[in-house]
Amino acid sequence: MALADEEWVGRPLLEVRGLTKRFSGVAALSGVNFDLRPGEIHAICGENGAGKSTLIKLLSGIHPVGTYEGEIFIGGEVVGLRSVRDAERAGMAVITQELAMVNELSVAENLFLGRAPRLGWRIDWLEMHRRAAVLLGEFGLEISSETLVGDLGIGQKQLVEIIRAIDKQTKILVLDEPTAALSDVEVGVLLGQLRELRRQGTSAIYISHKLDEVFSIADRVTILRDGRSMATMETAETTISEVIERMVGREISTFFPRGERVVSEEILLSAEGLTVSAKKGWAPCLRGITFELRAGEVLGFGGLIGAGRTELLLHLFRGWGYRLGGEARLLGKPLVDSTPGDSIERGMTLVSEDRKRDGLVLGETIGFNLSLSSLRRFTGVGWRIDAVAEAVRSEEFFRGLRVKASGLDVRVGGLSGGNQQKVVLGKALMTEPRVVLLDEPTRGIDVGAKLEVYELINRLAGEGKAVILVSSELPELMGMSDRIIQLAKGEMGGEFRRGEWTEEKLLGAAMGRQV
Amino acid sequence: MSPRILKRLALPGVFLVICGFFALREPAFLGARNLTQLVVEFAIVGTLALGMLMILLTGQIDLSAGSGVGLVGGIAAVLVFEQGWPAPLAMLGALGVAMLLWWLMGRMIVRGGMPSFIITLGGLLIFKGLFWLVIQNSTIPVARGDTENLYSMLTTYYLPAGVGLGLGAVIAGVVAWVQWRGRVVRRRYGLPVMSEVRALGQTIFMAGAVLGVVVILNRFRGVPLSLLILSATGGVIYFLTEHTPFGRALYAIGGNEEAAIISGLAVERVVIGAYALMGVAVALTGLMTTAYSGASTTTVGDLMELDAIAACVIGGTALKGGRGTVMGVLLGALIMTALLNGMTLLAVAPEMKFIARGVVLAVAVWMDARWGR
Repeated sequence: MALADEEWVGRPLLEVRGLTKRFSGVAALSGVNFDLRPGEIHAICGENGAGKSTLIKLLSGIHPVGTYEGEIFIGGEVVGLRSVRDAERAGMAVITQELAMVNELSVAENLFLGRAPRLGWRIDWLEMHRRAAVLLGEFGLEISSETLVGDLGIGQKQLVEIIRAIDKQTKILVLDEPTAALSDVEVGVLLGQLRELRRQGTSAIYISHKLDEVFSIADRVTILRDGRSMATMETAETTISEVIERMVGREISTFFPRGERVVSEEILLSAEGLTVSAKKGWAPCLRGITFELRAGEVLGFGGLIGAGRTELLLHLFRGWGYRLGGEARLLGKPLVDSTPGDSIERGMTLVSEDRKRDGLVLGETIGFNLSLSSLRRFTGVGWRIDAVAEAVRSEEFFRGLRVKASGLDVRVGGLSGGNQQKVVLGKALMTEPRVVLLDEPTRGIDVGAKLEVYELINRLAGEGKAVILVSSELPELMGMSDRIIQLAKGEMGGEFRRGEWTEEKLLGAAMGRQV
Repeated sequence: MSPRILKRLALPGVFLVICGFFALREPAFLGARNLTQLVVEFAIVGTLALGMLMILLTGQIDLSAGSGVGLVGGIAAVLVFEQGWPAPLAMLGALGVAMLLWWLMGRMIVRGGMPSFIITLGGLLIFKGLFWLVIQNSTIPVARGDTENLYSMLTTYYLPAGVGLGLGAVIAGVVAWVQWRGRVVRRRYGLPVMSEVRALGQTIFMAGAVLGVVVILNRFRGVPLSLLILSATGGVIYFLTEHTPFGRALYAIGGNEEAAIISGLAVERVVIGAYALMGVAVALTGLMTTAYSGASTTTVGDLMELDAIAACVIGGTALKGGRGTVMGVLLGALIMTALLNGMTLLAVAPEMKFIARGVVLAVAVWMDARWGR
């Protein structure tokens, strides 16, 4: 256990002072300070976008020295980390959400990837498995070192990753959402191991949305909000509610031009007890999702990353995963094993969160992309696309959405993020949908384009379309929605009408607790 | 000149350089007889390459085409020569077999999620084995005795001079009318059109090229039937790729399959369809090339899949999908054919021909990697 404030006399193991990091002029971090003491687990909390991942990337050398302002001290000396290697040499081990393991290799091979014990030219397999078994034993993992990593559960994988990251030089362990994919039992094992490591003198920076975990493991917690470090507190002297208050506590600006909405009685999309797993036989990742979406309404879905919001949209739109129970209806008719083609035909369209991965054909033109979902509307006799009708319609959307480009024949790959997003939205809306599913529609686009997207959402609602808005930005959800449902670990965390919600209530619901 | 114009002139330039080289070494290269042969060989390579274009557009590949070419020609030859079927029926039967086989391969690739490289590599071996079984490792003529039938006429029939000229004029006229009509309609809706001088220049060039080719071919025996088959194939595939949802889907799948799925395109059906159409292209090529050699023998179709892929890549088709045009592929096939034909005319040793084909293929892929987007 680390020493409490008044007893603390020594030097911090790691300290950052005045860290500021800008991305093309926008500050992701501004003047962040915090310190890590030897043998301490220090949690960092903040909303999505508060700057946590940027901070980790600075500490782990991904954003090298010189690209930021401020100083990082390790063991009392200023360090300039140029690469991940540098950070490792300085005693840092970073474990991110994406696991960097080779599924086709055994546990032992993964543990010693690139540093296998050798006998001359050959790999010393016996020695490798012997050492691996010792490490696994120390962590209480009852798996053989010969097991393929691909056959492990996600929790065991995470532990193997941690074992690999820690070697004799490791003084500081940086864990970024290590329990996001773990079951409660696995979380227990992981936290137990962390306590053991702390007893042996390893320090850890622990980043998590799950405040109950933070309070059970961390000695201190630093809160980030909008790229600033708001406070550092002893967990023993604060409460979860206080931490949440510090995390939000932001004015909702009048940025959201929401006009009066007329929500009709007609239900366009509904779900009743929807329970879905990623694959047949897997544990459900969505449980008991129930909602009704009416014409002219904007229904916001909030929650932490990994809460199941994208999965819900994909299940509704393209039959993602395997439905274990419940039912969904689109315009009154059951929605089962849907395909994108059927959904579009029946009047539902999706704007997915990653426009480059599944929104656009980047090598093709604006015109090609705009009409891609609506080609059937332009084909008459003999499968021929009426190029003129298509061009006229595309021009209409091109102008209406104010895409900034010289014409329809410009390649979308060269457009800015905001203009690309407008093309994706145009493609979806050209299908003349009644239900529009928007997954993070303003991610990574500039403020002007955001405003245009908000105006578009208002217009859609005004035309009597029903909109689902998934967003990780609470102000956006609160500014645009008529109702908000917070998902927490795939379940209904809470449902709020306009006027009933506060940021604290919404964040509490997203974390699965009623505040 | 702007880089774009240079890029557009690069391929015709390469073609002219190759022709110039062979013409200097062997004046007979530009003789009417050889040019006619070159056109027949172009029709054979071009038809297969056009089928390959649709496969490559989706980001897949077909290595079995060459074996399939032999198999189709062999089936038709056996049906005509040994079973005594009427030639049209035998050809239709062989075409049906090819469509079925390629449809099956397409299904395995799409539904089974198997890599097309391996499936069609398996096809290469299986079809070759089937081919040799069908013809019993022997030589089967495409017609009995000295008679002519539709099968043998595929590469021996030439349109009478007047008919060829008339047909050329009709084709040029129809294309010009479609272009002019498109301009009028687009302008009526206020859409951008290219300048009048350019449009007129293009039309005149196109008409001149069509009629010029007919006049040259008429100096020997006329327009070969196989050129009509290539033209029809090219026309159909041009229409499919440029003017139908099917064609849009080909480009979208190759450009970004995930986006194509989310956009509601029937990705699986389109890829299977592309393979079925490749079956048709293989069948047409198989019938023509077997007819051209007069009989079905074990070497017919050897390595033709590589010539087809080379023609596509030379013509600017991207191996990772999403890019390629009918006109480019036709130009690529023309270059490939000129090379093969010229080397045969100069009596280049077979071993050197193999090496030259390989070098051309490697250079084409290198250019794709270097200058492809």
